[in-house]
Amino acid sequence: MAAFPQIWTLYLLGLFLSIRPRYCLKASLFLLRAELYSTCSSSHGFHSSAIRAPGGTRLAHTDLKIPDFTEYRRPEVINPNKYSKESGDERRAFSYLITGAVSVLGLYTAKTAVVQWVSSMNPAANVLALSKIEVKLSSIPEGKNMTFKWRGKPLFVRHRTEKEIAIEESVSIAELRDPQHDKDRVIQSKWLVVIGVCTHLGCVPIANSGEYGGYYCPCHGSHYDASGRIRKGPAPSNLEVPDYEFLDDDTISVG
Amino acid sequence: MASSVCRFGSAVGRVLTKTRSPILLSLRRGQASVSYAQSLAAAPETRLTALDNGLRVASEETGHATCTVGLWISAGSRYESEKNNGAGFFLEHMAFKGTKKYPQTALEQQVESMGAHLSAYTSREHTAYYMKALAKDLPKAVELLSEVVQGCSLNEAEIEQQRSVVLRELEELDSNLQEVCLNMLYATAFQGTPMGHSVFGPSSNARNLTRQDLVNYINSHYKAPRMVLAAAGGVKHEELVGLARSHLSGVSFEYEGDAVPVLSPCRFTGSQILMRDDDLPLAHVAIAVEGASAASPDVVPLMVANSIIGSYDLTYGGGKHLSSHLAHLAVENNLCHSFQAFHSFYSDTGLMGIYFVTDKHHIEDMMHWSQDAWMKLCTIVTESDVARGKNALKASLVGQLNGTTPICDDIGRHILNYGRRIPLEEWDARIDAVTPRMVRDVCTKYIYDKCPAVAALGPIEQLPEYNRMRSAMYWLSF
Repeated sequence: MAAFPQIWTLYLLGLFLSIRPRYCLKASLFLLRAELYSTCSSSHGFHSSAIRAPGGTRLAHTDLKIPDFTEYRRPEVINPNKYSKESGDERRAFSYLITGAVSVLGLYTAKTAVVQWVSSMNPAANVLALSKIEVKLSSIPEGKNMTFKWRGKPLFVRHRTEKEIAIEESVSIAELRDPQHDKDRVIQSKWLVVIGVCTHLGCVPIANSGEYGGYYCPCHGSHYDASGRIRKGPAPSNLEVPDYEFLDDDTISVG
Repeated sequence: MASSVCRFGSAVGRVLTKTRSPILLSLRRGQASVSYAQSLAAAPETRLTALDNGLRVASEETGHATCTVGLWISAGSRYESEKNNGAGFFLEHMAFKGTKKYPQTALEQQVESMGAHLSAYTSREHTAYYMKALAKDLPKAVELLSEVVQGCSLNEAEIEQQRSVVLRELEELDSNLQEVCLNMLYATAFQGTPMGHSVFGPSSNARNLTRQDLVNYINSHYKAPRMVLAAAGGVKHEELVGLARSHLSGVSFEYEGDAVPVLSPCRFTGSQILMRDDDLPLAHVAIAVEGASAASPDVVPLMVANSIIGSYDLTYGGGKHLSSHLAHLAVENNLCHSFQAFHSFYSDTGLMGIYFVTDKHHIEDMMHWSQDAWMKLCTIVTESDVARGKNALKASLVGQLNGTTPICDDIGRHILNYGRRIPLEEWDARIDAVTPRMVRDVCTKYIYDKCPAVAALGPIEQLPEYNRMRSAMYWLSF
């Protein structure tokens, strides 16, 4: 089973949450914005007023020693005899550069994750795979209509003869119920590609039948011509022409 | 009805202006005959002379019948190492316990018979021994002071006795929570450097410092070029110089092995120290950034900026009608018991911050508004804010010098910090030169987007995490 990208992101989120860094020097990558600190230090002293108790309590607050944090310091501030403000701008610039870069990366990661999550609601691959078909035109002899299954509907691909083309192109649009010129319904006039669903009530017309040399729907008697236009019968509009394109002279991709 | 009253009032006014002398109606009727600027200009000059061994003598003749005279020395906890941190403070305790010429009782008797006060203080960069006496007792005072500084007997038995006194003082200090908080602030802000040392030193040093340590301390730091004999009151400069020559010419100006101690720079670390104790009733919090050094030109704008934030405590009258916006918020929202904006400056660095005392439920808000006040200083401080801050600063500078002792202290510290006494006129001119743009620029330079040092003490659970406080040091919208 294909691993979903969002599972990957979930896993890393869990990993991050389970590893809680204890020190001020935090380094958290993955989904959330990361910042590297090395300036913070904290020390917990206990204010105690026990004076004469032996060992364990201190006498005065001046006995408190700030621990040595040299290990955590950035190189520019290790030397206690150098003013820290001299290197201040550099240190800030570095921190902000890292912050900026990681923010950009984080935003990009977040955007990717969101897009992946949202696009999981898009049609599945198998459905998308069915959405387009390619038809080899050389397998269709002239004058014949071949039917293909496309998106659950019959697709008619008709290799039209010269005579049929001439007839259809010369039909006056004014007398059509659904006026459309033949030129507007085909890319190359030799090939007619229409969806084989009658626009009346959805039956599949029969090819090469009817009074107009095209299709005839047996259910209620709708006659379509060789351009798939309704000529007679109850159907209101022409057979639908789907989106298709010629990949080359021999192949069309429908859908 | 109202209009008839108005007409009547204006009629009366017209009559009065026509018949009476203008001065009676003028606002200047009760004022002094000398203006503020004139009085500043007329302040007596501070005269400065240096002896052959490098010791400086400075005095201001104010015409008082009393005087304050003292020795200000460039020595303090900053000059101490980890091993002898607290030596200066210990020495301060030992100073009045007898000298070579005057054993303790004799010294006390001398001072008491004059009716004088002999005191001392130690800070991070300065130590001072001074005496408040009648003007005519100046010679005796200078003699005693020179004895104290040069000829301290440092009796072993006395040292042991003073140990327990120092230890007890350290214990008592723990209950002065303001002192604890601010000491911890320095300790964390300047960690790993001598500026982080507290003046008092750790108790281990109080227990272990020997007579030799104290002697070494004196020999390393009580040198003539680092000393100032300052006096204010009814003193004549020539007389003072003469006295200095006779008593203080012997102060050494050479170091052993020619090793002149040089103050190395002190690194500031943005950090925090939290001393949580939920049993204490109030939380003491201080937040600070590195400030300007004493001689920096940024000092005056920063002082104006601090005056704009000002201070507040529960005893202030006026309710919420306080000019500092932070104080106004503090009263309106019951944010704190007290706060003060402070700026301490030293020879090459400084610490500038806000210290507040509040109960455990308002720490977060108070911190937020304090930092908000800082941000406003850096971005949108207005002409009226700056004018108010300038006036408050001038008033406080002038008002502080209200006696021979504050004046003498001022002289001593100025000579040590700047090499000369900065007169009030000059302060006034520098304050007048501050503009809102200058305040904004200077505050941005020191405050904006800098890592602060935070020290907090008490029930501080509500104090925001350090990174959040650090984030409040800049505004995204700017």
